[in-house]
Amino acid sequence: MSSTAPLRILIVEDEILIGLELESLLQDLGHEVVGVAATSADAISLSEAQHPDLAFVDIHLADGPTGVDVARRLADIGVTVLFMTANAKRIPDDCAGAQGVIAKPYTERGVRQALAFVTRQDVAPADGTGMTFVPFAKRAGEVDSHA
Amino acid sequence: MIELGMPVECRPFVQSAGRGPAATSFDPFALSFAAARMAMIITDPRQPDNPIVFANDAFSRLTGYARAEVVGRNCRFLQGRGTDPQAVDHLRERFRAGEGAEVEILNYRKDGTPFWNSLVISPVRSDAGDLLYYFASQHDVSDKKAAEVALTNVNHDLEEQIAHRTRDLRLALDQKTALLHEVDHRVKNTLQVIASLVHLKARRTDDERSRRVLLNLADQVNALSTAHRLLYAPEDVSRFDLAAFLEELMGDLVAPLPSGRIAVDLQAEPLAVSAAKAAPLALLIHEVVSNALAHAYPDDRRGRLLVRAEKLDGNLRIVIEDDGVGYSPSPAQAGFGRTLIDLLVRQVKGRIEWRRAEPGTRVTLTMPLDAEEALF
Repeated sequence: MSSTAPLRILIVEDEILIGLELESLLQDLGHEVVGVAATSADAISLSEAQHPDLAFVDIHLADGPTGVDVARRLADIGVTVLFMTANAKRIPDDCAGAQGVIAKPYTERGVRQALAFVTRQDVAPADGTGMTFVPFAKRAGEVDSHA
Repeated sequence: MIELGMPVECRPFVQSAGRGPAATSFDPFALSFAAARMAMIITDPRQPDNPIVFANDAFSRLTGYARAEVVGRNCRFLQGRGTDPQAVDHLRERFRAGEGAEVEILNYRKDGTPFWNSLVISPVRSDAGDLLYYFASQHDVSDKKAAEVALTNVNHDLEEQIAHRTRDLRLALDQKTALLHEVDHRVKNTLQVIASLVHLKARRTDDERSRRVLLNLADQVNALSTAHRLLYAPEDVSRFDLAAFLEELMGDLVAPLPSGRIAVDLQAEPLAVSAAKAAPLALLIHEVVSNALAHAYPDDRRGRLLVRAEKLDGNLRIVIEDDGVGYSPSPAQAGFGRTLIDLLVRQVKGRIEWRRAEPGTRVTLTMPLDAEEALF
């Protein structure tokens, strides 16, 4: 997988170990992590201060299932959003402005696929079934199949 | 003349029924009519408004009206507030067509009490076919109607109870499903935390051997995670899709290798395996495949790895075949990987066979399927 221009990425995740490891992984892949937010308020204020290119957003945060609202706010200010969740059923039908979902537990490959998709290096995976990453362009039942 | 207390209007009927001069002292038909326990009337459609021309004693007993009170009147005085207008319309139409009718209609006695009247009306015609009279019998079926209404009420109550219980059951099922999703969510999250923890440790470990051990452990956790991601599909939470799992797992395992070095040829029938076998099977396949990737292709050799899963004589057979250098499957050299494989094979009650495949190594795992799995 060829490298692209480094992205400035915000991680919105309340499990600190997951956030830290994802940060390391993204750094290994050559990107810059502008912060790890555990609550919706932190996520929004960090985004407004840092203007990241991309945000990985867990749906369940320290202040409740507020990831969907965070995604809407971030999408409104021009941040590309990817959900990370073990329960894709929580994602509303309009996708809340997000580009895709990484199913938890994710693997390094799932994260790579998602990055390749948002940087348009890669076409969407042919079949969403069982994939760790599912772009929302083809969201019609597939996401639910491994909710 | 016969003494029946009949009004004069009735005589033509008696003569007609008697058919001739024989009916002199009494007419058996007229007598039977008058004495019958069934309420009966005769109306004359040739007179204006089709009035009653005769009513027997049983009719008076049923309705409370004396004969003199009803003769000359149309029957509609029996109708009241609760009478179904549709039944009345139906009767009117039948009369207009000159035909008989059978209806159950709510009528009222003289004292205002209602009763259900099973009314049977027959036209009486002359030999030439001209309509002469209507003959109508009345029968009180209030008891039967009451039973019908009670039955309808019981049915309605039962339907309501069933609807209520169905609602309760659906609610309980929804709660159970929500709970299952919540538990599933937590398990996945915990697996993710474990994988992250091991990865973080590996990143911070300087010792190369320790780091390899940790990364191998992270891979094993990932294999379990992949199995879990495919569990709890909404259609059936008791089964897990082996073909989809193999596809995911193979993708994860070859992803770190330089692109195209190892081509994976996956031939998997769609197989639904019991969810209880997901974890041991995931670990087992992970071990065998990572073994092949680690030992069959030294010095950046390129190659092709075949993974085939199929149902065979009630067994699940998984063949993993590489075209590499042929690594030794001898147990003497086996590390924990082989011990783990043997333990897992025992857990799924299967057997495993390692064979030189010229080139490479072929590993065949055979395990019994339960009756339900064999159906798929």
